[in-house]
Amino acid sequence: MSSDYSNIKDSAPIEHRFNPYSDNGGTILGIAGEDFAVLAGDTRHTTGYSINSRYEPKVFDVGDNIIMSANGFSADGNSLITNFKTNLQWYHFNNNEEKLKISSAARLIQHLLYGKRFFPYYVHTIIAGLDENGKGAVYSFDPVGSYEREQCRAGGAAASLIMPFLDNQVNFKNQANQPLRYLSLNEVLSLVKDAFSSATERHIHVGDYLEILIVTKEGVRTELYPLKRD
Amino acid sequence: MDHDPFRWGRPRDDIYGKYDYSIANSEHYFQEHKDKYSEFPRMNTQEPIVTGTSVIGIKFEDGIIMAADNLGSYGSLSRFTDIERLIEFNDKTVVGISGDISDLQKIERLLEELKIESSYDDVNIEFQADNIHKYLRNVLYSRRNKMDPLWNSLIVGGIGSDNEPFLKYVDLLGVEYASPALSTGFGNYLAIPILRKFLEEKGIDETKTDSDNFRNIKEEEARKCVLECMKVLFYRDARSLNKFSIVTISKKNGIKLEKNLKIEDMSWEFAKDIKGYGNGQRY
Amino acid sequence: MNSIANRLACAGSERAAIHDQSFFSNFSTNNLAASLSPSIALPPISQPTKFLRANTDDSVNPDVKIKIAHGTTTLAFRFQGGIVVAVDSRATAGSWIASQTVKKVIEINPFLLGTMAGGAADCQFWETWLGTQCRLHELRNKERISVAAASKILSNLVYNYKGMGLSMGTMICGYTKKEGPTIYYVDSDGTRLNGDLFCVGSGQTFAYGVLDSNYKWELSVDEALQLGKRSILAATHRDAYSGGSINLYHVTEKGWKYYGNHDVGPLFWETKQAEGSFNNVVT
Repeated sequence: MSSDYSNIKDSAPIEHRFNPYSDNGGTILGIAGEDFAVLAGDTRHTTGYSINSRYEPKVFDVGDNIIMSANGFSADGNSLITNFKTNLQWYHFNNNEEKLKISSAARLIQHLLYGKRFFPYYVHTIIAGLDENGKGAVYSFDPVGSYEREQCRAGGAAASLIMPFLDNQVNFKNQANQPLRYLSLNEVLSLVKDAFSSATERHIHVGDYLEILIVTKEGVRTELYPLKRD
Repeated sequence: MDHDPFRWGRPRDDIYGKYDYSIANSEHYFQEHKDKYSEFPRMNTQEPIVTGTSVIGIKFEDGIIMAADNLGSYGSLSRFTDIERLIEFNDKTVVGISGDISDLQKIERLLEELKIESSYDDVNIEFQADNIHKYLRNVLYSRRNKMDPLWNSLIVGGIGSDNEPFLKYVDLLGVEYASPALSTGFGNYLAIPILRKFLEEKGIDETKTDSDNFRNIKEEEARKCVLECMKVLFYRDARSLNKFSIVTISKKNGIKLEKNLKIEDMSWEFAKDIKGYGNGQRY
Repeated sequence: MNSIANRLACAGSERAAIHDQSFFSNFSTNNLAASLSPSIALPPISQPTKFLRANTDDSVNPDVKIKIAHGTTTLAFRFQGGIVVAVDSRATAGSWIASQTVKKVIEINPFLLGTMAGGAADCQFWETWLGTQCRLHELRNKERISVAAASKILSNLVYNYKGMGLSMGTMICGYTKKEGPTIYYVDSDGTRLNGDLFCVGSGQTFAYGVLDSNYKWELSVDEALQLGKRSILAATHRDAYSGGSINLYHVTEKGWKYYGNHDVGPLFWETKQAEGSFNNVVT
């Protein structure tokens, strides 16, 4: 560190082997219905082969009927979510407590993520809520902020296990003569539970508990289910 | 940007330089390119010098217990044997620190500064364990953002703002998590299984943080379990010491820090059957 | 680069550090000017670009943690009836297909389209940013911005970031009275080219093959749309990084018009049937 007498150290470049990233496992899943949306995540928190905690929630009700999760490197994920909440609070102060539309929330998150384009947040972000017409909405983001509104999206460790299942069961991909239709909340919940129990069977970073947050026009509610702990 | 269709959109080596395997996630590729190791630039690494090993912690009925030994290792040398790694912040908060000892002392100074700065106001701010945890996590995360980390893993324990026992981990990356039983470093492999088995026998539901959930765990039992963990750690962690401190924070009795405890009732019987465990057996 | 890194590397008090997150506070203020020129955080090390590449270039090291969406075929061409823009919709992260439903045509405003190839976030972010710049131009000058000017705003912007690791290859397509139908190719090297016909992305060569052999200025609108669609189809067939569905646009003096989303799955078989082409594929 520099002293009052010298700033030599500050002008010399420092080389680092420090790796500022790690992966805390876990997986998340968002599905939009006609008048609801769900965002679910397991609660296992890992580094390498160690299970740090069996119950560390990562899906949050961030206010204004929006639920959010940033899966991947949990320190970045937590920071992104607190940054979002801070910005939301400022939005309320500046706009007479007006509710933030989910499309605007998505654009804000793009800016938060892209703000670290050259030192990215290592997270896969998903938000869920209701759009201006009361229809279920899910938005998903890559680590540097490109985003898309979708009917469903899995993120995190077991995304590659769950996403093909969702393509088939939510968007009826590769099913002959199956017209697209909205799924009911009960259908969606049982899909989510199947997706997570299957991912738990085949992925070491998924398990312990499944926490599902559900948004309807009545608000946000939470359901908790046990998963296998091995 | 590369315009070759096979590498379209990717960075070009002649502009960005060769891909530097020594920076990130290249363990696998590093092995493959080992022969080229000499081509990699020499890295002047920042790394921990004098280090402290595991800190362990567990919740009980109306509080928490934490323990850490008094060793400061210099690589494989037992350099200092009187390092106190359980930092008492106030009668509701303790911070157990493992990792670099100089950074531990920096954290001690930061906590002292925080205490002094907040005491200037007439209204006395009383920090709870969760406030201290959040403060330290922000310090550690912003240091990692500067690529100049404080090389530590810590466990903050005490009583939280909700007046319930509080126990939470945070490390040099800013990663944080809570659990009824926590450990840093080597303790993750040796102490955690013992602590988790104990909690399982007591029927603890890890999704609940209210003290009712822990009513089955008496202070004495939890303390016994922690002592057992310290013993196992001393048996197998080569960077550990048989002298340690235990801290107990409970809603009823406040904070109690016991120093200079010795590991008792050790049995080294097993050692004689193990090759290379100093039993003189060469083969 | 080193000077930027050094400016950021100076150590300050931790207290200041925690609140030093200026990159996001820009968006929470009412300061419009500030929010239109976002500041982007750099890793505070001597080689930020090496760091970024080491952590994101999955084409060299498939083990990298952060995989940015890549891979594309996009095309746009001028003809007697205006401009046709056609793109695929696949996004890949390594060999994982991250999405089959990406909108690679960014509707900058009712008269301007931008295409997306390379880093999805780079294109999406800076082309929407371009939209705000174009609107500001309209408000200041009481007339729509020319395609030349719009594309130059974008190319100047990316040139500012040259060598930092942005990856985008885009075509800015629009129609103004004085220019007529106009296409500018802009990429992250800072290249900006005016032309009649471009294909951009990992599948560009396949699209060029079909497009070049069937293109002529006199194409009718229907023929031109069909040719755009057919060229992308060829690319999705041969380039693994392109696929999903095809989005079609037509730009005229009245602005752009969307000509639907065409799933490659059924489209391939329809095309094969109708044309008697793709005879290498047996049914």
